[in-house]
Amino acid sequence: MSLVATLLLYGAAWQHLQHERHVFLQENYMDYTLPFRFTGPAAMEFKGIVSDFLFLKVITFLGERIGKQEEFSDQHFKYLGESVNTITDLDPYFWDAYLFADMIFTWDLKEYEAANELLLRARQYRTNDYRVPYYLGFNYFFFLKDNINGSKYLMEASKLPGSPYYLASLAARLSVYALEHRIGIIFLKEMIRDTENEQIKNEFMLRIKALEIMDQLEQKVREYKKTYRKLPSSLAGLVTAGLIDKIPNDPYGGQFVLLKNGRVYTTSKMLRQK
Amino acid sequence: MNRRIWSLAVITFKEGIRDRTLYGIGLFALMIMGLSLVVTGFFLRELHKVTVDINISAITFGGLLIIFSLSVNLMSKDLDKRTIYSVLSKPFSRAQYLIGKFIGLVLLSLTALCMLTLVSTLTIWTVKSQYPVYFKEFVWLSVFQAVFAEFLMLMVLNAVVIFFSTVTTSSFLTLLFTISTYIIGQTVEEVVQFIQSQAQEIQLTTAVKTIIDMTQYIVPNLSVYDLKIRAAHGLSITSSYLLSITGYSLIYSTVLILLASIIFSRRELT
Repeated sequence: MSLVATLLLYGAAWQHLQHERHVFLQENYMDYTLPFRFTGPAAMEFKGIVSDFLFLKVITFLGERIGKQEEFSDQHFKYLGESVNTITDLDPYFWDAYLFADMIFTWDLKEYEAANELLLRARQYRTNDYRVPYYLGFNYFFFLKDNINGSKYLMEASKLPGSPYYLASLAARLSVYALEHRIGIIFLKEMIRDTENEQIKNEFMLRIKALEIMDQLEQKVREYKKTYRKLPSSLAGLVTAGLIDKIPNDPYGGQFVLLKNGRVYTTSKMLRQK
Repeated sequence: MNRRIWSLAVITFKEGIRDRTLYGIGLFALMIMGLSLVVTGFFLRELHKVTVDINISAITFGGLLIIFSLSVNLMSKDLDKRTIYSVLSKPFSRAQYLIGKFIGLVLLSLTALCMLTLVSTLTIWTVKSQYPVYFKEFVWLSVFQAVFAEFLMLMVLNAVVIFFSTVTTSSFLTLLFTISTYIIGQTVEEVVQFIQSQAQEIQLTTAVKTIIDMTQYIVPNLSVYDLKIRAAHGLSITSSYLLSITGYSLIYSTVLILLASIIFSRRELT
């Protein structure tokens, strides 16, 4: 009898503690990571497993915020930067940590320089991994619109073992031609293949959809130019000429526009419109 | 090898194997390894790294626990329980006694390590067959090289246990000194590197510098045996490096056993 009563009491105490702990963690989540200067010697010969633990903590903390679609702030940037530095100091070959930070830095925080800095660090250690210069090339090409550096790193990636067959030709095209939406589509399709995170995958697919529409519109603009020997004044001109039925909707919620050089872009800048 | 030393080594080994602490430690290591089956799935794609990290860390941790509990106890038991008198009344020297004990302890560590490695091989194999896509960078040889390096470290630590048990009078002090040696041995290289890289910013007195310099020569540099990160990423280790750490361990252990023999032969056993 007394055992049952004690067990019941234990159950109630456990539930209460769970609730209190939940509130406590919400308020006091330890969103900081000690620098390597401390964690390094403290981890002694267990640096690998400590880096795993810290990385798990980071992906849980930031993953929860991605799941809830919360906006990232400077504080998150600081936290991610510090944590990834410590993790990659503990294990400088840890590609998951580099890639996760690169993804958040570029897609969520728009901190492209920080992402590239991190990838350059990874490049020092993962010398035989084509993915490091590949992502560097992608960042330069896609986010920073720097085709020269983009092509340089893609070329480097294409020479490393295991790289996709089309990288070399892609790199060559990038250095010769102006920015093409089609190249972005190929890039993103390759990245989807290498991405596990559903959230990021969906983001890529949405971007591919927008890029495919813009690519098709540009083709129609070229057709128009061939027929009329001039560019249409706007995308509505394509409708009037009967080349398209209507101007398609931007999946990001913006509007497609025709630029003076004949390129098609969108007012949403491929960012979700609120 | 001297038959007397060998028989003493076998007795020590058998005594260790019979100890129930060993099963507790084994069970604990198995639990950590089992954990790797569950935890690995939480990670993104470098699952081979996480699996190897957890498994080799479990092997190391198990090996260390054996040193800190069993080795220390086996060494001090004879002195504490006064069975040393009957042992030393047999026709062999005190130096032979220490060498026999050392070989027995090393055999014990080796056996435990082999058992743990066998189980972790099964664990890694299970995770590997579950996620073969994420094990492209994985190399078995690197894992076994890392475990071999851990064995060398345990050998040195066994020599440390022998040395301190001849110097001190209680098993607790031996344990304390062995743990301290382990911690200093693991961190000394980083501390020296840190001081060298920040030489201008940190003002150290000559005395402190001399102490750190001395420590680096006296205390074994145990970070040389840490090949876990390389193993986790399937990076190979050169045979010259392995040869070098093997030589270092053998020589360091020999020096310690020699010193211990000198001290022990002069010690008054009361």
